[in-house]
Amino acid sequence: MTYDPIRLEIFKHLFAAIAEEMGAVLRKASYSPNIKERRDFSCAVFDGQGRMIAQAAHIPVHLGSMPLSVKAAVDHFAGDLRPGDVVVLNDPFQGGTHLPDITMVSPVFLATEHIKNTQGTKGGPEVFMVDGSLIGYVASRAHHADVGGMTPGSMPVGREIFQEGLIIPPVKLVKAGRMDQDILNLILANVRTPQERRGDLSAQIAANQRGADRLAEMVKRYGLGEVTGAEEQLLAYTERMTRRLIESLPDGIYRFTDRLDNDGIGDQSVPITVTLTILGESVKVDFTGSALQQAGSVNAVYAITLSAVYYVFRCLLGLDVPNNSGCLVPIEVIAPPGTVVNALFPSPVAGGNVETSQRIVDVLLGALAQACPELISAASQGTMNNITIGGHAPVSTEEREAGTRSQPFTYYETIGGGMGARPTSDGPSAVHSHMTNTLNTPVEALEYAYPLRVLRYEIRKGSGGDGKFHGGDGIIRELQVLTDCQVTVLSERRKFAPYGLNGGGLGMVGENLLIRGGVEIPLPGKGSFDLQSGDILSIRTPGGGGYGVKSS
Amino acid sequence: MTSFSIGVDIGGTFTDFVIFDPSAQQIQTFKLLSTPDDPAKVVLQGLKKIFDKKGSQRANVIHGSTVATNTLLEQKGAHAALVTTRGFRDVLQIGRQNRSALYDFFADPTLPLIPSELRFEMDERVTHTGEILQAIDPDQVKALIPVLKVRDVSSVAVCLLFSFLKPGHEQAIAAELRSAGFLVSLSSEILPEYREYERTSTTAVNAYVSPVLDGYLSHLDQALSPQTHLRVMQSNGGTISPAEARKFGVRCILSGPAGGVVGCEYIGRLLAPASGMRLIGFDMGGTSTDVSLIDGKPQITTEAVISGYPIHIPLLDIHTIGAGGGSIARVDAGGALRVGPESSGADPGPACYGRGDLPTVTDANLVLGRLSTDHFLGGQILLDTSRAYKALEKLGKTLTFSAEQAALGVVAVANAHMERALRVISVERGRDPRLFTLLSFGGAGGLHAADLARGLGIPHVLVPPLASTLSAFGMLAADVIKDYTRTVMLPDITPIADLNAQLEVLAQRGYREILAENVPAEHIIIERFLDMRYCGQSYELITPFSESVYADFHRLHQQQYGYANIEAPVEVVNLRVRAVGRGTPPPILPRPIHGSDPSAAYLELRRVIFAGIPTETPFYLAELLEPGNRIHGPAVVVRSDTTILIGPSDLAEVDRFADLLIEVGK
Repeated sequence: MTYDPIRLEIFKHLFAAIAEEMGAVLRKASYSPNIKERRDFSCAVFDGQGRMIAQAAHIPVHLGSMPLSVKAAVDHFAGDLRPGDVVVLNDPFQGGTHLPDITMVSPVFLATEHIKNTQGTKGGPEVFMVDGSLIGYVASRAHHADVGGMTPGSMPVGREIFQEGLIIPPVKLVKAGRMDQDILNLILANVRTPQERRGDLSAQIAANQRGADRLAEMVKRYGLGEVTGAEEQLLAYTERMTRRLIESLPDGIYRFTDRLDNDGIGDQSVPITVTLTILGESVKVDFTGSALQQAGSVNAVYAITLSAVYYVFRCLLGLDVPNNSGCLVPIEVIAPPGTVVNALFPSPVAGGNVETSQRIVDVLLGALAQACPELISAASQGTMNNITIGGHAPVSTEEREAGTRSQPFTYYETIGGGMGARPTSDGPSAVHSHMTNTLNTPVEALEYAYPLRVLRYEIRKGSGGDGKFHGGDGIIRELQVLTDCQVTVLSERRKFAPYGLNGGGLGMVGENLLIRGGVEIPLPGKGSFDLQSGDILSIRTPGGGGYGVKSS
Repeated sequence: MTSFSIGVDIGGTFTDFVIFDPSAQQIQTFKLLSTPDDPAKVVLQGLKKIFDKKGSQRANVIHGSTVATNTLLEQKGAHAALVTTRGFRDVLQIGRQNRSALYDFFADPTLPLIPSELRFEMDERVTHTGEILQAIDPDQVKALIPVLKVRDVSSVAVCLLFSFLKPGHEQAIAAELRSAGFLVSLSSEILPEYREYERTSTTAVNAYVSPVLDGYLSHLDQALSPQTHLRVMQSNGGTISPAEARKFGVRCILSGPAGGVVGCEYIGRLLAPASGMRLIGFDMGGTSTDVSLIDGKPQITTEAVISGYPIHIPLLDIHTIGAGGGSIARVDAGGALRVGPESSGADPGPACYGRGDLPTVTDANLVLGRLSTDHFLGGQILLDTSRAYKALEKLGKTLTFSAEQAALGVVAVANAHMERALRVISVERGRDPRLFTLLSFGGAGGLHAADLARGLGIPHVLVPPLASTLSAFGMLAADVIKDYTRTVMLPDITPIADLNAQLEVLAQRGYREILAENVPAEHIIIERFLDMRYCGQSYELITPFSESVYADFHRLHQQQYGYANIEAPVEVVNLRVRAVGRGTPPPILPRPIHGSDPSAAYLELRRVIFAGIPTETPFYLAELLEPGNRIHGPAVVVRSDTTILIGPSDLAEVDRFADLLIEVGK
């Protein structure tokens, strides 16, 4: 296929529009606040070889890892994917990242529209195209508020993955347009809020259906040759842009080490080391020297590490480059198996996705700051401050007498913090940085939905690092529980502060406190605790590092 | 002598005036250059011109003002303060804690309209059941007054948690502050709905823009005679009195584009009086393009974000992209042909205007022969073809393309931008564009509309004769509209009669307030809706209220999102009432049908390039076409304000209202 700068630009829009429309469907049709209010999901379009062609700009940590989900689905069903199938998976060791992230992969065949809208109805599809040709895949991933396991919200501080929730290897949840009720029932029987899960899974299927329809329409409109040609060009384009970027960086070997506070079980710090070797227009990213996989849940699977690498280079590329697999072609990632950046079964991994991914970004930026200090900001808060609260909503005496059972609830939230100062400006305060960009749950939405009351939600003044440019400030969020419940906190940068650059100061470390009867009791950075009705949980998130020496 | 009506729409370059004189049954339009430094100047200048000519100042002036919008965009609003519940003064700054650009270390967050030192907290708390956990302390409110005075604050936004359930605390604050002379915006009046950030933001925008709009409208009011009655266009597609606009400035953001959507709706009603038409409004201008969808009626959104600030009052759903005729084409570092977002603007303008050198979409159209060099903007600007050609030739060199190939590419890429915008407003909203007609207005749209329709499977394109002044015309056609909402969060076991009773409270208020706008009682229509969702969801669907509202909700959900969950419990989140005072839009009278032969309007034969093939193509002057005339493509219809391209397989017909209706071929 000859290179065509016009087709390139046109198809860039067409593919991006498909991913974005899938996202719009998922966001609006899903149930849990986690997906709708917080937008913890991503949608992407893939070519027939499983290479990602477009991803809607949602959550960076999903970036590099979505193609691995498609690969897992394709490998598992080796040639047995049919029109109308939807593969579901969350197994971190088979295409997933951590268990709450459930991914759905749909193969797209040219005739897919013939069998749409038959899901959930009795009887098979009316029309079945046996020889419909495969034209690509669409996938959606959403963070579900609960997938079972030892604590509500499925983000526990566990010792093996079996404690973290239901493991779903690649299985067909929808077969030829028909929902497999047995599999659905099996999933729903293993989660704390089955009604919500059912709705969210339906929304993901609806999003995939929409994406599949649009991709098939595109192929009908332009022809398969034209579309696959455009896919090649889009991949080559992003690859070319990435090569150009890497070429602009000075050749050399850059090494940086930072550490996680601990794994949530022991109190040993967990170092992560990267060595970047930039040579010409390609780069080797080698994590050799990082800690071995841990007993606690801070283990990242390879997909997470790949996502973090992808994210950093994607940022350096600039705004308008399509998010596709071409970006990773000139980048070689070495993550030794059995380390904290490439953990093996059956390691617990809940925190790898949300916490370790942030530290991987920190070490990458620390190394790159040596190569191109003018492009790199100081360390951001380096954590997502994951809070999960679960229990049973209290019922009044009348309700109990009327037979109302107390309803289980699970609330999951991540809290923003300070961003690192930039070479030319202060870091923004009170935002999510790097690998996540989820929204908060509005205070009023939260109080309608859960037996919780928010007492404070404010900027943690003065928590950003000093410097010529200040790091952004963190957040203080205080929640009072109105019933006895269990809380799990998974947070980082409680011990080792976000670094400054070029003489900038450290960001302030975060703090977790339990306030009971007016007395403040410090809580560790990671752990599960039983709270009594009236207790207050106070989370103070880290500030970003400063940049440059503060003038006196 | 009866009074006449004038619609005034201030745009970036031109200010449009549309005049309807009922005694003459005549619609006239003209344009003046805008005066951005003092927007009232051009309005008064235009009105004087009309009044002098008519010899009367008895007129109703409906005004679409950019004052509120520009105040926000240029951050030139009032020195405003915010009062919140203790612990929540940073909600306005934290927002939803997400960053605007995902892959950009250097992006800056939107600055809060009210800085930290002007945000104050009160010890008070209401719960989600409306229980008062802590009562407000009147002394604490009083103590605020000297502080605000010292800080030179003029306007105060008040947003307390759950104030939509128990507005008493906000009202207590308002009473004190108003009697001390402050302009006060209450969240429980402006947006009595849950979600504190969006409510605070909407209230803060109101506090920020209202004083500026107030000053502007008083200035206009003073300059006008008592015989001239001013009304202001709102973003919801209706008008309000200046007195209301001055208090609720947030309702007037985007009032100009709203006029365009109302104009589209009016044209749809003209052609299909019973139900209105299903139209996609396509307003392509020089620097930006607005698209909207009219499914019989315009669509409303309650999730608008303007210039980074959420505004969650009901607005007409208009999607804007930064691409238009003036968008500049370039080849990027990766070798892709890009169009926009940079624009040549009014100065220097496209290369063919004779000052700039960078290739724009307009230059590409000229190189392809699709513009008449002598009749552009009624001959006001003579287009420089060789300059446009040079610009495209230079662009083509980097691609090893000829100027013509480059021009085709620029048009194709521009169309890709437009198509994406049209998809957002249709397919993303659960609407199939193939069931709609593309209504093209604005100066630059006519050259692109038929090709866009072809790409999306839209069967027809409609270009009305008032295309370039449709926004100002829409203001003449607009109703008086007021929206009312309240969060109730009720389960679906709530009897219909109870819901009806609660809606009635809002309906009565709407009825009274529309009456107060001097609308006769028989012209008042009250529309009732419920914002509903499945329990546990967090986006609501606005569902028309009726006995069957619960069943209707499931159907609507199926239509929008592809599935419904009949067994799942539903909740009623908000009550919503729209009170409408029907206006009397100027009639557009049909004209007699002539024969199909358009040759009386024939202008010239020019070489136009379609899909790479130069084709001798007839040009027609729109002003000389008659209803009934049919034009087989390829052809170009030239009007003083726009140019319309009819592709080789298209067929155009002039209808009895002088609209050009294009049947789009393959």
